[in-house]
Amino acid sequence: MTSFMRDRAAIAGVGRTEYSRDSGVSTLTLALRAIRAALDDAGLTVADVDGVACHRVGDSVQATLVAQSLGIRDLRYHLDLFGGGSQSAWAVGSAAIAVAAGVADCIVVWRSVNARSEFRMGGTGRAAPDTLEFQYQAPYWFATPPQQFAMYTRAYLDAYGVLPEDLGRVAIAQRAFAVRNERAVMRTPLTMDDYLESRMIVEPFRLFDCCLETDAAVAVVVTRAERARDLARPPVVIAGAACGGGHTLFSNGRGDLTTTAAADLAPRLYDTAGLGPADVDVAELYDAFTPLVLLQLEDYGFAPKGEAAGLVADGVTAAGGQMPVNTHGGHLSEGYVHGLNHVAEAVDQLRGDAGDRQTPGAQVALVTGQPGYVAGTTSALLLRRDS
Amino acid sequence: MSEVRPRPFVERDSAEWWAALAGHELVLPRCAECDTWRWPPRAICGRCGSLDWAFEPASGRGTVASWVVNRHGFGGAFPLPSTVLLVRLAEQDDLLLPGGWAGAPDGTGLAMGMPVVAGFEDVRADEDGDAVTLLTWRVTE
Repeated sequence: MTSFMRDRAAIAGVGRTEYSRDSGVSTLTLALRAIRAALDDAGLTVADVDGVACHRVGDSVQATLVAQSLGIRDLRYHLDLFGGGSQSAWAVGSAAIAVAAGVADCIVVWRSVNARSEFRMGGTGRAAPDTLEFQYQAPYWFATPPQQFAMYTRAYLDAYGVLPEDLGRVAIAQRAFAVRNERAVMRTPLTMDDYLESRMIVEPFRLFDCCLETDAAVAVVVTRAERARDLARPPVVIAGAACGGGHTLFSNGRGDLTTTAAADLAPRLYDTAGLGPADVDVAELYDAFTPLVLLQLEDYGFAPKGEAAGLVADGVTAAGGQMPVNTHGGHLSEGYVHGLNHVAEAVDQLRGDAGDRQTPGAQVALVTGQPGYVAGTTSALLLRRDS
Repeated sequence: MSEVRPRPFVERDSAEWWAALAGHELVLPRCAECDTWRWPPRAICGRCGSLDWAFEPASGRGTVASWVVNRHGFGGAFPLPSTVLLVRLAEQDDLLLPGGWAGAPDGTGLAMGMPVVAGFEDVRADEDGDAVTLLTWRVTE
């Protein structure tokens, strides 16, 4: 049975602000600038927008305030997802479903953060987010994402004999893409010595295992695929979207620390889109930390469990490989816009707009949210070039 | 009562658990219908859906599921290095509880699967100095 949402909606425009360490403006202003850029890209105006969607963790302006600012008098769709990067693909996917259902016809989806100058993740520089489970961690000074992901990562490294060099290759491959990306914050090539000699942050993580913290906003315009074909740019069709997972931080329901919620979601995602892992030409995998790339290569079906490091070592995911991963440099090297910059990069790749980092002939892209490794839920999109 | 720790934000579902810990007792929520343990405290059993449950004494025994060694302060005033454990409780394979480590601050000597037992440490929370009890895991004798 063909899924209800398959190929019904498309991304018609993408917009980004500058990436910086201090934007000097509010998250509302950043959001509005990125949205305007995405509308300009699509050949639309604020008058066309009838829906808004974002995800946030108490660190950004609420969706309805953005809608008011855009002058929307009759808001047909709004979504304000609680969550960090795990929700990024679901904000876009939910908009696609709403468009397919005829609830709204032109939804802007964004993530806007002053993640360096105002609200750093994990409660540094502000009150902790209202996550109940924090009470069992914070008294041990165990509260930030690098610490949480390091905890799970040690179990993965230990179970499969994955080495620091294996994580280093992920960071090095992505930096090589960032060197080719004018937007990227980190554009100096990274060597294995640089990686191994970078200081320990929280064992087993070194500095270059960790993503950047960035002030930025990225927005996309989601509309019906049919309507998108009449707009300014070639549509990128949303073939499928799915969310999954849901276990708690400490009691994950499976007792296994080495598999992510993506393993549950992936078969449903592929089924929804009518595609499989072999169809994916380019993948933008949520990379708050290096091991997430390895975990997702396994859990989305590109490598058997414990064997993703071999795929990376063989160059499959690097520039010129069979399935390049994080072609913009990812959160490790381009900037950290909590998954929306991954969506935007996939659009560039499928339009053939990616310049020196273009994957030749890319037809299908996988874009993922933070894979539910800690917080429990995740989401992903399969996008394809319009045929 | 030397170190000052971030205060846990105790809420209505967890107050009884923190109170038990203050008495140096580790308790865990357990379903009264199907006997499944769960963590953290929630009003419903995720396995059978029963709303009938109670805190029961736990063995305080488990094995090391993982650990991290802090080498960076993340903006907080805490000692470096310091080690945080994630312990898989003996009661059930999917019960994982974080806590401090009574051994070497840099985690020397830890190994995956190592048997540990819960200890209790009375510390001060935040600047006003209220007492709070935390878990500190140590090697099983």
